[in-house]
Amino acid sequence: MTGTISIYAVVATLLQVVMVALGAPLLVGIMAKVKARAEGRVGAPINQPLRDLRKLLTKERLHARHASVVLVIAPMLIMASTVVAVAISPLVSTHPLLGSSADILVIVYLLLTGSAAAALAGLDPGTAFGGMGSSRAMTIGALAEPAFLVAVIALSIQSGSSNLPSIMVSTLAHPQWVLGPSRLLALGALLIVVIAETGRIPVDNPSTHLELTMIHEAMILEYAGPELALVTLGETMRLGLLFSLLANLFLPWGIATHSSTLSLVAGVVSLALKTVLIALGVALIEVRSAKLRLFRLPELLAGGFVLSVLAVVTGLVTR
Amino acid sequence: MTLFLVALGLCAAAAVAGATFPRGSRVVVSSVLGSLGCLIAFSVALRILLTGDTVTFHTAQVLPMTGVSLTLDPLGAWFVLASSFVGVATCLYNVGYARGAMASRSALSLFMVFVLSLLVVPSASSIMTLMFAWELMALSSLLLILTDQARHPDARSAALWYGVMTQLGAASILLGLLVMTSNGSGQNFADLSAHSSTLSPVTRSFAFVLVLLGFASKAGAVPLHVWLPKAHPEAPSPVSALMSSSMVAMGIYGIIRVGEGLLHGGTVWWWIAVALLGVVSAFYGALHATTSTDLKRLLAYSTIDIIGLVLIGVGAAGALADSGQPVISRLAMSAALLLVVAHAAFKGALFLAAGAVERATATRNLDLLGGLIHTMPVTALVVALSAGAIMAVPTLSGFSSEWLLLQGLLHGFSVVSTPTVIVMLLGVIALALTGGLTAVAFVKAFGIGFLGQSRSSGAAQAHEVSKFMTLAMGWLVIPSVVIGVMPGLFVPLLDRAASSALGTSTVSPFTRGAGLEVAQLSGAIQPAAILIGLVAVMVIVWALNQALAQRRARRVDAWGCGRDWQTPRMQYTATSFAEPLQRVFADVLRPQSDVEVTHVAESRYYEQSLVYENRVADILEARGYRPIIAVALRVGQFARRLQNGSIHRYLAFGFVALLVILVVVG
Amino acid sequence: MNSTYIATLELAAGAVLLSAIMTLWRRNVRSIVAMLSVQGMALAAVAIVLALHEHEHALLITGCLVFLVKGLVVPHLLRRVSLLDPRSRESRPLVNVPASLVFAAALIVLSYVVGTRITSLSPSSATHLAPLGLATVLVGYFMLVTRRRAVSKIVGLILVDNGIALVTFLLTSGVPLIVELGSSLDVLLVVVVLQFLMVSMRRHSDTDRLTEMKALHD
Repeated sequence: MTGTISIYAVVATLLQVVMVALGAPLLVGIMAKVKARAEGRVGAPINQPLRDLRKLLTKERLHARHASVVLVIAPMLIMASTVVAVAISPLVSTHPLLGSSADILVIVYLLLTGSAAAALAGLDPGTAFGGMGSSRAMTIGALAEPAFLVAVIALSIQSGSSNLPSIMVSTLAHPQWVLGPSRLLALGALLIVVIAETGRIPVDNPSTHLELTMIHEAMILEYAGPELALVTLGETMRLGLLFSLLANLFLPWGIATHSSTLSLVAGVVSLALKTVLIALGVALIEVRSAKLRLFRLPELLAGGFVLSVLAVVTGLVTR
Repeated sequence: MTLFLVALGLCAAAAVAGATFPRGSRVVVSSVLGSLGCLIAFSVALRILLTGDTVTFHTAQVLPMTGVSLTLDPLGAWFVLASSFVGVATCLYNVGYARGAMASRSALSLFMVFVLSLLVVPSASSIMTLMFAWELMALSSLLLILTDQARHPDARSAALWYGVMTQLGAASILLGLLVMTSNGSGQNFADLSAHSSTLSPVTRSFAFVLVLLGFASKAGAVPLHVWLPKAHPEAPSPVSALMSSSMVAMGIYGIIRVGEGLLHGGTVWWWIAVALLGVVSAFYGALHATTSTDLKRLLAYSTIDIIGLVLIGVGAAGALADSGQPVISRLAMSAALLLVVAHAAFKGALFLAAGAVERATATRNLDLLGGLIHTMPVTALVVALSAGAIMAVPTLSGFSSEWLLLQGLLHGFSVVSTPTVIVMLLGVIALALTGGLTAVAFVKAFGIGFLGQSRSSGAAQAHEVSKFMTLAMGWLVIPSVVIGVMPGLFVPLLDRAASSALGTSTVSPFTRGAGLEVAQLSGAIQPAAILIGLVAVMVIVWALNQALAQRRARRVDAWGCGRDWQTPRMQYTATSFAEPLQRVFADVLRPQSDVEVTHVAESRYYEQSLVYENRVADILEARGYRPIIAVALRVGQFARRLQNGSIHRYLAFGFVALLVILVVVG
Repeated sequence: MNSTYIATLELAAGAVLLSAIMTLWRRNVRSIVAMLSVQGMALAAVAIVLALHEHEHALLITGCLVFLVKGLVVPHLLRRVSLLDPRSRESRPLVNVPASLVFAAALIVLSYVVGTRITSLSPSSATHLAPLGLATVLVGYFMLVTRRRAVSKIVGLILVDNGIALVTFLLTSGVPLIVELGSSLDVLLVVVVLQFLMVSMRRHSDTDRLTEMKALHD
């Protein structure tokens, strides 16, 4: 049990939530900017996603005619699952509130809960596009999840715990693990998973305007106004969370391991740096590649799955 | 023990009442007696789990020659706990549900006999008592499948499959248990357990394999599962609920009781076999659940999936115990047992809800449902919570059990022995593969069945079912929430059951608390705190949303991509929802689809009608069982040629047989 | 020093298997050949790291040779062969790509099961990695069986060869130079023969899909 709640844990948790809520839209803005520059355009300012959110908050609420209460609950559930996952994950500090519950299974299934809620919201208005988006998003989720879970399990076998803070602390203690083949394979697998789960090219095109090629956008087509803002913010925070986890699982240096103001500041700065680097990398991948056909995606995700299994086996062989 | 006998007596009285009382009162009387009996059995099981006592009972009456021996130890009590809890709900449900064939004398009394047998099987402590209760369970459920055969023509073929498989299974179990008595140890479990070490390893393995085949077929493990997706959907819903939640658990109980209790663990290969059965079942069940469009068939396949995970836990526990890891072994066993109880509750609730849907809309084909959340809000809530539990949404019961399973597997990796590590590896992979597929299956079941617009007139005119039925469903949702939020409450009971299952007295792997915490090994979750966090965020978001909104949300038409009309037929259906996954796994599922296009007479470029048909048959049935059946039929044809009705020939057979016997003996 | 040695060895051996998996993953023949080149180089790295650690000069020469032949020459020749056909894709393998990847995962698990039995005979940091080589052999064999194009089949053959080389490097800390020389030259010979065959096949039937060779038989 946690015993007494330390003030630093509370501060770290709040920092994490605020940082991801405000920082993740900036990451999306940075990626859009990089893409635009690479394509020879000027591009929107990097705080455009935040401006969009503010604009959406002031708009009127619209509900589709046949929708039920699910349409209203889903955005709250998406936000709640993502915010809790962000709050308990070790992003800025290895000891946030409830860090002892920050188990890989908790995080993976909290995210799955969010996707299931989004998929149900897509089916709720009873339209063709919503169903199509839900079906595709769930399919991709179902194919990405095994790779996700097995890749993180590869890390936890090495550390002997499925608790994310313990994985990071033991990685800090054994820096030679980072360049081990098991880690690198797991990194490859997780990179594929993160791209799939955040709906970036080559899996989904976040800026498409054609209903038939949309996946995530088709699913949330019926949302408008503040509810659309919530869904979008939830999805963006999920991206921020996944990027941060990717960064901290493989390069945990900089994260605050003890309770002092200085280390928390270092944690914030290092997290910002690491996630921006990942965002740049993902943006470059997006620039270089074209969106895959839906039925070529299983190849990519199966590849991720094999990488993760390979990571586990290599980890077992080399221990 | 007397109290437990009272419980059994009440169930028997309920069966008699069902057979004798007049039409007006028999449903109510037998249901009340039955649920009372189940409640008492539940309290007895709970007390045994709280104290850790073992109670026994023996009488020379009832069964000829051997009498009846009953023993309730924590392991048996754990399974009694599950079946009695579901029993209460189904009895209650039956008050609202039973009408027509299900309210007949035979159906009601058979139903109560079925409930009774589910309480006796886990408490039987001799071969004869076990087999008697087992056959009672098999035959009563078999006949119950046939109750509504006038309206469900498929029920006959389902019953045939079930009858053949269950009798072969029972024969295999009996044979296995008899092999164990070959050292003259008698038929009581206590004697069997004490003397099983004198059996030769080959005999023990032979016995275990026979018993495993029988029990695994009852549990629905692939490839012995073919009867399950036929029989469970065709039975009346309270019966389906009992079959899918409690009866399959009896298969698991049997494997644990014989493998761990009577044969003391045996060799590591047994448990690898069990775990492999589990891995295949989990994947195959999850995959078929995603592509099923019949609501009850989907639930039946998902039972195979969860049972697969339970078998992985049992297999891992056995393998770890053999590798000298008693603590982790106990952890894995606890995970399997918790999953059994969690599954009993949520699958029971889902089958009862499916029955409610079938009653309200006269169909259980998801492609014809839709929009039920507007007309059946309580059923929708039950399905949403139970589906959440099965999808392992954190703070619901499925999550707690899957987390425990993962902890067991993860810490099992520290073992040196390669075969055991392989079990862990395959278990982890199966857990990962099924998680996403299960989510697809249940998002489909809820999203297509309850959301959107109604796809048929039956679904459009649905009404919420009676109070008794909703109450019964609500009763079964309780464990899903309580085990999910406060798993710590169950840890002492669970721990006792697991240690009684493994017959070892090691230190407990758990630390006591509100959440789940694994001692020595670093791992803990606090679902209650996570739930508080989730609720807090939802409340804040809701409050902000209310504060920002200037007025109520306006109802508008959905976006139609420029068309100004949309019909319910334009929605995605269950078939189309699962189509991408069906295509991805086409190699395993082998779907068959036909497209038939009729053109307008004037031009080939205009279509008049288009018929699309898509079927996913059980490939193991088509490729594995049909050939065997074909051979059996051919043998049967041959036998028919011998048996041409001529009395002379029959006499000649008898004469030849007599001669052969004389020659052999002489 | 020792931990760097182990880490490098693990990394190189992992790269050999990973590149084998990548050949199953990619469809484009040219990127398959590129993966083969990576694999040859990783194999050479294994040999060279072992040689430096054990101070075996013969193994060092073998490593350089492997780098030259399997890392550069063979891939170069294969690339030239694949240039003969403008439709340079493995369009429809006998087992589709996701299924073959999942099957590859199963093969990896299998080789772990079998491999640990073998390596437990003489445990050392090098022999521990032998299951990776075994997995490479199995993946190569799988590719040999399930791919239609002649070039892909040859790649499968070379994967098998590389896997065997990896296992022998790791288990015995070095093959006699002459053996490795022989096998490398064999591979070279096969590739050269293939080049001639391809040219003449294309002249006759305008394709190199081996399934269509059945037509010759009928």
